[in-house]
Amino acid sequence: MLGELGMRGDGGGCGGLVNAPCPFSGVLAHLSALETESVRLVELQREAWRQQATREELCATVERLRAQRDQLRAKVLSATSLQQVMTEVDQENEEKRSEEEKSAGDSQLHMSLLTARLSHVKNLLRAHHLIGGYDITETRRGKGVCFSIATAFEDRTLETYNVEMDLARTMRICRHNIPPFIPLERLAQENFQSDIMAFLDSLSMHLNAYVGRRQQVRLIQELFHGSVKVLESNALCSILVLRCRQVGEKKAAALCTLEYGDPTRCLPTRVTIDSEEKTLTDSPQWNEIQALFLETPAHQALLAIRREERIA
Amino acid sequence: MACSPPPATPRSGRAPGGGKSYAGRSRRSLGVELTNIGITPGQLTGLRAPTSRGFPKSRNITEHVDPEQIALLVKNEWKLSYVTPLYQFRHVQLKSYSKQLSAFIVSEKQQGIAVEIGLETNFKVVFSVVLGLAETEDDAETVFIQIHSKPPFAGDGDVPKIIWSGWLTCVGGNPDYLRSLPSGFVCLPLFCASGSESLTSLVKLWFERTFDCSFGTLNLNSTYLQWLASMWTGCHHVSSIRYLKLVWNLPAQPPLDISYTVHPQDAWDLWNSVREQDSTGDTIGINEVERFMKGLESHFFRHFRIYLSAGMLTKVSTAFGSAHCDGKIKVCTLLQPGIFNIS
Amino acid sequence: MEDVAKELLSRLVRRIPLVRLRHVLGRWERLSKTQLLSLDFTQPKWALCENLLSLCEENEIAVKDLTEIEMLYRSEYPDQGVWHVFQLVDTSEESLSSDFMHFRDQFKANLKDLINHVSIKMKKLEDESVWIRIAWGGNFSRPNHLKPTYVVHHLQTPYVFVSSLANKHKPLLFQALALSAHCGSVKDVNLSGRCLTALRDLSMRQYKQVFPSRHQKRLEERDLLPNPSIENEHIKLAEYKQQVASEVFGDGVLPKLETAVYKLETKYREHGSENLARRDEPFRGVVKFSSSNLLESLKYCVSSGMASTPVTPLLSSITHKGRNYFVIKDKQHGSVPNTSASKF
Repeated sequence: MLGELGMRGDGGGCGGLVNAPCPFSGVLAHLSALETESVRLVELQREAWRQQATREELCATVERLRAQRDQLRAKVLSATSLQQVMTEVDQENEEKRSEEEKSAGDSQLHMSLLTARLSHVKNLLRAHHLIGGYDITETRRGKGVCFSIATAFEDRTLETYNVEMDLARTMRICRHNIPPFIPLERLAQENFQSDIMAFLDSLSMHLNAYVGRRQQVRLIQELFHGSVKVLESNALCSILVLRCRQVGEKKAAALCTLEYGDPTRCLPTRVTIDSEEKTLTDSPQWNEIQALFLETPAHQALLAIRREERIA
Repeated sequence: MACSPPPATPRSGRAPGGGKSYAGRSRRSLGVELTNIGITPGQLTGLRAPTSRGFPKSRNITEHVDPEQIALLVKNEWKLSYVTPLYQFRHVQLKSYSKQLSAFIVSEKQQGIAVEIGLETNFKVVFSVVLGLAETEDDAETVFIQIHSKPPFAGDGDVPKIIWSGWLTCVGGNPDYLRSLPSGFVCLPLFCASGSESLTSLVKLWFERTFDCSFGTLNLNSTYLQWLASMWTGCHHVSSIRYLKLVWNLPAQPPLDISYTVHPQDAWDLWNSVREQDSTGDTIGINEVERFMKGLESHFFRHFRIYLSAGMLTKVSTAFGSAHCDGKIKVCTLLQPGIFNIS
Repeated sequence: MEDVAKELLSRLVRRIPLVRLRHVLGRWERLSKTQLLSLDFTQPKWALCENLLSLCEENEIAVKDLTEIEMLYRSEYPDQGVWHVFQLVDTSEESLSSDFMHFRDQFKANLKDLINHVSIKMKKLEDESVWIRIAWGGNFSRPNHLKPTYVVHHLQTPYVFVSSLANKHKPLLFQALALSAHCGSVKDVNLSGRCLTALRDLSMRQYKQVFPSRHQKRLEERDLLPNPSIENEHIKLAEYKQQVASEVFGDGVLPKLETAVYKLETKYREHGSENLARRDEPFRGVVKFSSSNLLESLKYCVSSGMASTPVTPLLSSITHKGRNYFVIKDKQHGSVPNTSASKF
């Protein structure tokens, strides 16, 4: 690449000569054209470099943020309870305060440090919220807490679900807005009293998987309006029957049935494809499609198939 | 107009245990007492709220009034109005009044929509006197009015149906007031109507034109309903009230109705616990009524934390009957303590 | 046509308002366009009924076709009659994967195993609800199509809504439901009312609930308080009350529940009535709240101060537990009134 550039650079150098009137106009005109071309290419090249640099920078930022997130996650997980975190924060404050008092006794400085500390903690909480952590809010003057579980699919934030618990005697769910087909009761029985984090994690998995499946159905209806038809689905979105038309003279209809056997995942566990043309469904191509559906979200799989012009 | 509205609370001979025996021992009358609808004697004239009321004195109404006539007064829900004294009303001319009123109704109806003519021309109005309801010599005798009508396609054998009834009465009126009326006036200050609104207003119109009187709505305020609840409850040991039901309306958006039905025995126990030690038994004081209501409201508040006082008591009912704040009253049993004391 | 068919048709015509009848007949698809147009919906119902009868005879319409009219009517206009809510408990994982066909076949087979003479019609609507119409017969009598039971179930959810179910048929229906929906048993959740959508939204929590959260935006400003001076003086208090009211009863359009009934069997404990407080028996009574939209009314009571805060568990249980009939008794020890226990 460099060699090429160097050569073109030379050509550019010649450009100065080319501008002078010259009897070998045919050759010079050619050179001139080459020069213009090379200048354009250099511009493009520079642009590409710039873009790459930005991309690398962004990638680095993503990496850094990821690391930070993992750190935060680890921190949250390692803290056995929220209370512990709180006491830690309190202790740190306490230490700082006593130090401050000893050294300077400057109450103003002390106050500003406290404010800084507070905003730091608040930022941490905010970050925790942003990475999809569970929000926890004290309710009824400490007699209850409310957890919020945010859900997302493909970089899009979707519903936030809430569970309010009563801490008065034994821990008990007193109110929530979890859809009725999420087995909240069972999840609670399994690991509610012993491990609240495990309960929230499994609930979050169910919810995220559910909104993910539902979002796929919505996207299919949006992106393939008119070409792919959702024949059947259900409240839990655990089954999805699609009808699409194959490209070809016959335009044979194909019926894709996606069964989501695992309620905690948004990918199907079983895919069957029926077509009016039996030979087609047995072909290796269709096996590929089947595999694609098992590995990628349904709307993306459909987009890919359409790109390959196998469906209309 | 101090009079009391006509009550329908007669008790008939079929009361368990016989009315007479109560008369002897009871401090509360089971008789029909036509004096207590929240307008105490003199209340229609001067607005003075009573601070105590006597339990109606026992009076065996069946000795004075024809049980069949009592039955007429008892079965309907009555809408109450007050009436100013009637000028030149004569109890002896009831027959002619019957003819005049039916002619009036027919002519008024014919001015109305043509469709109605065929339907309701067969009106027959009957005025009658219910003797014996008056308590004192000053009380005018009660006048009862019925409007019969034959359905448009009825056969010859069909008996005309009663489509409206009403009555004007005066029970235990304030004698000073009654005696102060100029001659030519008859005081029957309570008007009870049961039937279609349009007929009620026609009857009122006829009375207003004929006797130069005027009608006004008679609403029952919360205080009156509270008296009623207390008095009814106080009678429970004599004759079962079966339940005490109170209805409040709270001005929420949309409006909220709250009904509280209390077990009769428990209501009576509460009533007993709020009665004053020195109370003679024949009268009940406003303090007692207030304590009784407060007792019910605070028990309610302990559970629901809703202030019933923010709303209005709209209805009181027991097996004896019911009273609604918009001036509707129903008497269900003949064995009933004096409820209809408007005075 | 059979007599039963004739009676069923005339009953339907009598019961269904004309505008709705026209709509339902249009969707019925058993009458041709010309036949439909020939019906005069301005004539008296008895005459209309005669005409309809003759058209049905012409088309050889049978009882089961007529029941379809009824089903269409009930599902298009569900807010009539009283619906009772029941819950499927101890559901197995299988219940999450059941589809309509499977459920239908299972239910029909299970119920017919239990009772010989029964006529069942089922269909699934677009909102994923399954509608079941059951006409019950006796040992020696044919199914009575004039008094059918209606059951609405949303597959994969544990809720069943039932209308006009006689006590003697209850065990049969519940057993068939338990078998075909893969659950252990069916229990009454003590929630009933006329508005099916409201009952559904309340039990499945499909209305806007408000939860306390650090990141939540302030509730939208609303002029709920009728008295401006109160608003000015107690603006903070008013906001707090508004927040409490929304957390208990929800926000936005609330389910249209019409009544709530409490049977009180608690001791009388007010001061000044020691005699009454000393006795052992509870102070018995029944409290019934009614409104065209009870949750709205109660919310208004709380936000306007007619009810004090915090909201008593008796009232908040309506939304928290999704029920509107309660029996309140004292706990054995302690003084707090207790609502009979129910999960979640």
